[in-house]
Amino acid sequence: MKINVWKSTRRAFLAASCATLSLMAQAQQTYTVSVSLDYTGPFANVMDSWWAGQQSVFDWWNDTKGKAIGVKLDIKTHDMRYDASVVARTWPQILSSDKPIVFLGMGSPDLVSLMKRLPVDKVPMIMGTAMIAPLWTSDGWHFSYRPTYSHEFAGLFAYMQARLPEKRALRIGTVSTQGLAGYVDQVNGVVALAKAYPDRFNVVSSQWVDNQPITVTSQIQEMAKFKPDLILVGTNTAQVVATSKALKELGLKTPIVTSSHNGLTEAAKAIPMADLEGSYSVFAFAPYNDPAVKVADIFAKYNKVKGGTWGITAAQTAGQALLAVAAVEKAVAKVGAGNLSGQAIYDALLAGPYSAESFQGLMPSLQLRKDAPFPTDNLAVKAMTVKGGKLEAVSADWMPVPALAKW
Amino acid sequence: MSMLPSGVFFQSYAAEQGLLRTWPQRLGLAASLLLLASMGWLMNDYWLGILTLGGITLVAVLGLHITIGMAGLLNLGQSAFVGIGAFVAASMASNGWSIWVTLPCSGLAAGVVSILFGLPAVRIKGFYLALTTIAAQIIFPIVMIRLPDGWFGGSAGMSVEPPVILGWVINTPRSYFLLVLSVAAVAFLAATNLGRSRTGRAFRAIHDNDIASSVVGVNLAKVKIQAFFAGALFAGFSGALYAYFVRYVSTDQFTLWLSVWYVGMLIVGGMHSPFGAMLGVAVITLLQEGVHLLGTKVLSSFTGMSGGTVFSLTNVVLGGVIILMLLFEPLGLAHRWSILKSSYRIWPYPRG
Repeated sequence: MKINVWKSTRRAFLAASCATLSLMAQAQQTYTVSVSLDYTGPFANVMDSWWAGQQSVFDWWNDTKGKAIGVKLDIKTHDMRYDASVVARTWPQILSSDKPIVFLGMGSPDLVSLMKRLPVDKVPMIMGTAMIAPLWTSDGWHFSYRPTYSHEFAGLFAYMQARLPEKRALRIGTVSTQGLAGYVDQVNGVVALAKAYPDRFNVVSSQWVDNQPITVTSQIQEMAKFKPDLILVGTNTAQVVATSKALKELGLKTPIVTSSHNGLTEAAKAIPMADLEGSYSVFAFAPYNDPAVKVADIFAKYNKVKGGTWGITAAQTAGQALLAVAAVEKAVAKVGAGNLSGQAIYDALLAGPYSAESFQGLMPSLQLRKDAPFPTDNLAVKAMTVKGGKLEAVSADWMPVPALAKW
Repeated sequence: MSMLPSGVFFQSYAAEQGLLRTWPQRLGLAASLLLLASMGWLMNDYWLGILTLGGITLVAVLGLHITIGMAGLLNLGQSAFVGIGAFVAASMASNGWSIWVTLPCSGLAAGVVSILFGLPAVRIKGFYLALTTIAAQIIFPIVMIRLPDGWFGGSAGMSVEPPVILGWVINTPRSYFLLVLSVAAVAFLAATNLGRSRTGRAFRAIHDNDIASSVVGVNLAKVKIQAFFAGALFAGFSGALYAYFVRYVSTDQFTLWLSVWYVGMLIVGGMHSPFGAMLGVAVITLLQEGVHLLGTKVLSSFTGMSGGTVFSLTNVVLGGVIILMLLFEPLGLAHRWSILKSSYRIWPYPRG
């Protein structure tokens, strides 16, 4: 009898051990997330901060929430050199070796090369950049938490128009480059905005300049005749710098409106911050130095990338990673930790809404739908401006974006 | 005419002029083609992608070999002609045309457009001609965006469905590779034979001395335009392959920078033979991939280094290697290969 008790105890212990081991094995469900980076292309200089934003979020998530739900995300990076042909040739290798459940894209080369392939390969792609109208297609597997650049600008324009001393339309001047689809689209979107709200917005002058101009003084002088309230330069840092220099030469104090990728921090590397006094950067995520942005603490604790610093770039890509892990959590809740797949993540992305809490103060709540690759409901943006030579938030609250139909 | 090992004699002019004159040469070519085709099964997807893109680039550089290497007309707008081919292929494919139609039409379209930019070559040459070809590069995106959206997609560009050949959908790395390999092989053969034709000899004549060649009856205007047309024809084919490979075309994919790389590849390989074009594409592509892999290794081995720094250094290494190659072998790698070959053929006697 004694022996039987001992045997039973031993069996129970073995069974319990097996169960524990099995649970531990479940706790180690590992899935790959592939990431597109650009270490040898035009964005190499910001890539450390870009990758740091994503890496710190994924490491934090694996360490905390991932552990709790039994999923570990293995991140594989690929230097796509911001080149559509490199993306096209690397993608089959990513599919066969990484077998990713989600792909984090970097820019338009990823989008144009993969948007037709993703639905066939059943891998959703999440972007960190704003979108452009040509990529505003339905039933795609490419998503961004940010709407189009024009939507983002519209949010700030609406805020500024409401604060004009007199009741009139906001006079907008634009500086951009012909021949580059994304750049042209930014202007087209703002023109569409002015057409939709003629009493609120008026595009008074569009100046087309070289992609990397040495000077735009004559163009700004021409634009100045129309007395713009602001000059939109959503393209690149070189154009922001040239516009700022032109304004200084002409003795004008018109504010420049920039995006996240060519924003005030980047421009201030070439010209004194004081020259950008009153100018803006606008984007659909919170400014990196906003006290409500808790992901800054995550970055401070988990960043392992040498040269990676917390700023607009890192905040932008942290948002991208936060949406990815939020989708993983939702997918796990639906299909279980052992059954994650690209399809499960795609379904989870569309199954929203995602609450603002998921995004650590970086983004508002969002809902993705099949009819657009970005959220279209209740869009809101935040902006930064230079005041007294220092960067500060324009508004503590999210600024709503006026409804803007596809142009 | 390259030398042969002693003891090889021909009994007819055709045999003397043949591209492949001995059994070992024929066997070598067959083995090389077989080896290349078998890469589709031997290589992983990553290397297949590199080989496929290398093949697409080779077709465009072979075109440059005709315009610059054979005819001596400096062309810095080859990427624009590649772009024209890509857009024509994308547009026709979206209207349901088969690759059998889109491929030749892409080449012809690029060739026809190139005539516009070849016309100034009748009057000008050298740097001045290079400037007019740069104009092609600048005008190309502006025109493409301004044309009605229904033609080439306007500023949005166009997506491209994979081609279907005899019911076989070309949508895997291996099938893309075999398609590109076939076209590149035909392009290589065509470029080689062009150099041996009457037209090719006229190209060489204007390359060496255009005034003297006009004195002996070469129609300068016609031959220069033919040279531009032939070079752009190859660019158009390359563009069509590119469109099918990347599956999306937009104007910002065809830049002046790409044109400069094409010329760089031709110079490094040797601009006077199709083999030089092939060597240039192979060496520059391998060099790019090599320094890139090296950069990745350095980055993973030395965690204290910043990615931006490592990869900036790889670009410096790449540029430095190209400069060294130009300093020590300005006639290109094909010349070095030719020296090696002749040394082997007259062995054990010393060369020269």
